[in-house]
Amino acid sequence: MASIELKNITKTFEKHDVIKDLNLTIEDGKFTVLVGPSGCGKTTLLRMIAGLDPQTSGQVLVGGKDVSKTAPGQRGIAMVFQNYAIYPTMSVRENIEFGLKNNKVPKAERIELVESISETVGLKDYLDRKPSTLSGGQRQRVALARAMVKKPSVFLMDEPLSNLDAKLRVQMRIELIELHKKLGTTFVYVTHDQVEAMSMADKIVLMNKGVIQQEAPPEVMYHTPSNQFTAQFIGVPPMNITYVREKQLTFGFRPESAAIGRSPQQGLVQTSGEIITREMLGSETIYQIKTPLDTFMIKSIDDQYRVNETVYVSLPEEKIHFFDDQEKRIAQDSSLYLDKIQALRGQYYG
Amino acid sequence: MTKSMHIVKLSIGYLLKLLLVTVFIFPFLWMISTSLQTFKETLAFPPTMVPAVPQFINYVTAWQSGPFLTYFSNSAIITISIIVIQMLVLIPAAYGFAKYKFKGSSFLFSLVLLAFMIPGQVTFIPVYLMMSDWGIGRTLLPQIIPFMTNAFGIFLLRQYLMQVPEELIEAARLDNASEFKILWKIMIPMSKPALATIALFSFVSHWNDYFWPLVMTDSAAVRPLTVGISMLRETEGISNWHVIMAGNVILVIPILIVYLFCSKQIVKAFVYSGIK
Amino acid sequence: MGKKRVSSVIRPYLMILPAMIGIGVFVIYPIFYLAYLSLHKYNLMNPAKSKFIGLDNYADLFARDEFYKVLGNTALYTFATVLITLVLSVAIAVWVSKNTKFNQFIQAGIFTPHIVSIVSIALVWMWMMEPSLGFLNYILKSVGLPTSQWLQSSSTAMASIIFVSVWQGIGYYVLIIVAALQGVSPSIYEAASLDNASKWKIFYKITLPMISPQLFFILIIMTIGSFKVFDTVRMMTLGGPNNSTNTLVYYIYQNRTTNIGYASATGMVLMLVIGILTFVYFRMLANKVHYQ
Repeated sequence: MASIELKNITKTFEKHDVIKDLNLTIEDGKFTVLVGPSGCGKTTLLRMIAGLDPQTSGQVLVGGKDVSKTAPGQRGIAMVFQNYAIYPTMSVRENIEFGLKNNKVPKAERIELVESISETVGLKDYLDRKPSTLSGGQRQRVALARAMVKKPSVFLMDEPLSNLDAKLRVQMRIELIELHKKLGTTFVYVTHDQVEAMSMADKIVLMNKGVIQQEAPPEVMYHTPSNQFTAQFIGVPPMNITYVREKQLTFGFRPESAAIGRSPQQGLVQTSGEIITREMLGSETIYQIKTPLDTFMIKSIDDQYRVNETVYVSLPEEKIHFFDDQEKRIAQDSSLYLDKIQALRGQYYG
Repeated sequence: MTKSMHIVKLSIGYLLKLLLVTVFIFPFLWMISTSLQTFKETLAFPPTMVPAVPQFINYVTAWQSGPFLTYFSNSAIITISIIVIQMLVLIPAAYGFAKYKFKGSSFLFSLVLLAFMIPGQVTFIPVYLMMSDWGIGRTLLPQIIPFMTNAFGIFLLRQYLMQVPEELIEAARLDNASEFKILWKIMIPMSKPALATIALFSFVSHWNDYFWPLVMTDSAAVRPLTVGISMLRETEGISNWHVIMAGNVILVIPILIVYLFCSKQIVKAFVYSGIK
Repeated sequence: MGKKRVSSVIRPYLMILPAMIGIGVFVIYPIFYLAYLSLHKYNLMNPAKSKFIGLDNYADLFARDEFYKVLGNTALYTFATVLITLVLSVAIAVWVSKNTKFNQFIQAGIFTPHIVSIVSIALVWMWMMEPSLGFLNYILKSVGLPTSQWLQSSSTAMASIIFVSVWQGIGYYVLIIVAALQGVSPSIYEAASLDNASKWKIFYKITLPMISPQLFFILIIMTIGSFKVFDTVRMMTLGGPNNSTNTLVYYIYQNRTTNIGYASATGMVLMLVIGILTFVYFRMLANKVHYQ
C-alpha cells in the first residue's frame, strides 16, 4: 500500500504542454477517480504514474519513494487497460502468472497465488482456457486477476468498464467497490463518465485542459462545486446556470432543486414557462421548460405535466449557487453572497 | 426454367470447370506417364498414354546420371539455412520497425522497400564477383547469405505487428518483462500465421529457384536439384524424354506431396501475401 | 541510469542492424559496384588490368541492333503475358469465385503449377511441345488442325514461351482476384439488383471498380516480374531460334563472362526500367490511398 505524490509535473507532447506544473497527492488506501472530458490529461497523468510515458519534468513519488526514473515493471504498480490487453496466445493461467514468473516467484507460491486469485474473481474453472473463448466480462476478470496477483501497492485502471454492456458495467462497478474494500489498496481509476466517478470514488479529481478543477469526495463535489465547469460536469442533467443581465449576476441550481406546479409557489426566484420536452424516466421525469429567464432542465418526481403546458417554477433560497465573473462559485458565508441574494429577492420573472 | 434443365445447366458448368482444371493438371500426369515408359513407347505417335509395363528403371537411370544425392542435400541445406537465417534477421527488424520510434526509421525502411524491388537479376554480376573475391565461390554460401535479409518478410511481419495493440506491450512492461521476453513470449506467438506464410514462401521460392544457383555455381559439388535436373538433357541426350521426365518427377514430387496435404494453408498464405 | 537510457536509444538500431547489413552488402553495394563495372572494360582474369572507359559500354549497347531486338522481345513478352493473364484470370476468377468446396478444388488445381519449379514446368512443356512426338501436336492433328513447330520456329517460339508463362502464373492471380471478389460486401450487389441493373452492368460498374486496387497490384507485380523473364528462356529456347526469344536478362546472362562491363551496362538499363515501373506503382498507390 502506498500514497502517490505528483510534484510540479509537466508533460510536453511535440512542444505543446499538455500538463503544466501539476501537483497532486493521492491518499493511501483510497479509491481515487480521475475524471474529465476527453483530452483533459487524465490518462496522461495515469500513464505517468505507471511510467509508461514518463513526465517531461517533475517528480512522481510512490509510497514516499521517488520513482521518476524507475522502469514501469519495478514501481510496484499494476494496471488494468481499457481493452484489457490480455496476452491472446497465453491461457488464463499463463496470463495471470506472467508477471510472477518475470519477478522470479517460486513455482509453488505461484500456483497457490493463481489458485486463490482466480477463486476470488470467479475464474477457477477457466484457468486453462484461451482468452478468445471468454466473454467480455470474463476477460475483464482476467485483467483484474492479472493485476491483483502481483499484490501491487497501487492499482491503476484506465476506463476498464467502457467496453462492457450497460448491465454488466453496473454489476462490475459494485464488484470493484467490494474489491477495493477487501484489498484496501490505493486505487486510481480514470474515466470520462461522471456516474462512474460519483458511484465509486472516495475522492474525485476533476480535470479540464490539463488543470485540476476540484478534488473532493462525491457529495462535496455535487453540493459545493468550486466553479461552473465542475457544477456542469457533475450531475445529470447538469446544473442550470443563467446570467441575469439587468442584475449582472450569474446563478445556478440543480435540476431537482426547483419546484414546479400549476399555481405560483413560494421561493426566492419565481417564474413560469412552457414545457418543451418531457422525458419520463420512471421514478422521475425531466422537463425542459422555457421561461423568460432561460430554458431550464427540471427534474421532478411528479409526471403529471405535459408538453405545451405552462407551469410555475420556483427556487428556494438555500439551493441557489452564485458564480463570480471568474466562473468561481461564491461561498455562502461571504458578504458578496448576501448581496446577490438581495438582488434577486422578491421579483417575479414572467 | 424446369428443374431438369437447371440440372443439365449445372452439370455442364461442372464439366467445363473440370476441363479447365485438367488443362493445369494434365501436364503433370503426362510427365509421370512418360517417366514410366520405355524409350520405344516415347517414340510412338499417336503418343502412348499408359505404359504397358511401368519402367521404374528410368528413375534409377536418372538418379545415377549425376551426383543427385549431393544435389538433393544441397537443395535441402540451402533452403533450410535460408529460412533459419531469414527468421533470425527479420523478426527483430520487423519488430523494430513496427514498434519503435527512432531517428531515420522511415529512411531505413525505404531501403528495405528498395531491397524488395531490386531483383537478383540486377545484382548477380557484382555479387558473383564479390563471392569469388571473398574466396567462398566454391561453397554453398553464395546461394545462402545473399538472401539473409528477406525484405518482403520484414514488410509483411511489420504490417502484422503494427496491428498488435500497444497496450499489450505496456501490460508486459508493467509485468516486468524484458524486451526480449516481450518479443519471444508475446510477439512471436501472436505472429505465427505471418511467420508461417513467410517461411512457406521462402521454402517454395528457394527450393524451386533456378536463376540464382545457375549463375552462382560452377561445379557439381555445390549445385542444387533444379540445376542438376535441368542438365539432364545434356547428360542424357535431348530425346531421352522418359529419363528426363523421371528426373523431373524426383524434383516435383516433394513439393506436390506437400501441396496435396496442405493446399488450403498454402493457398491461404499466397492469398495473404497478395492482399497485404 | 544513464547507461539504461543509452541502451534504449540504440536498441531499435541493434534490432534492425543485421537486416540492414544484408541490404547494404547484397543490394546497395552491388548497385554501386554494377554502375562501376558498367564504366569499365573489366578483365575477369586480372581485375587489376581493368580499364576505365567512361560511357563506351553504353554507347556500344545503344548502337547494337541486337539490344533493341532483345528489348523489343522483352517488351512484347511482358505486354502479352500481362494482358492475357489479367483478362483470363479475371474471367476465371469470376467464374469460380463462389465459395464452394468444388470451386476451392478448381482454384487449388489451377494454382498447382505456380508452386512447381520453372525447371520442371519447362521440361514438361518442351516434351508436350515436341514437334514430331509431342502431345500438343497430337491434339491438333486429332481435331484436324495444322500442327505447329512450337519452340523450334522463330515465328512461334515467343508465343510458346508466353503460353507457358501464362499457364504457370495464372493460378496465383485467380486466387487473389477471388479473394478480392469475396471481399466485396454482398449488400452492394443486393442494392444493385434492387436497382434492376443487368449482370454485365453490375460487373463493370460495381465489381470491376471494387476490385481495382487488387487488379492494380497484380498489374504492377506482373509487369515487373515479366520484365525480368529468364528461366523459361534459358530452359526452353536459349534465346533462339535466331534471337527470337532473347530477353534482357538472358542477354545479360549471355555476356556475363565474356564482357562483364557490357553486361553490367545492360543490367543498369534493366534496373532503370524496373525503377520507373516501381515509381509509377508508388505514385499511383499514393493517389489511391488519397482517394480512399
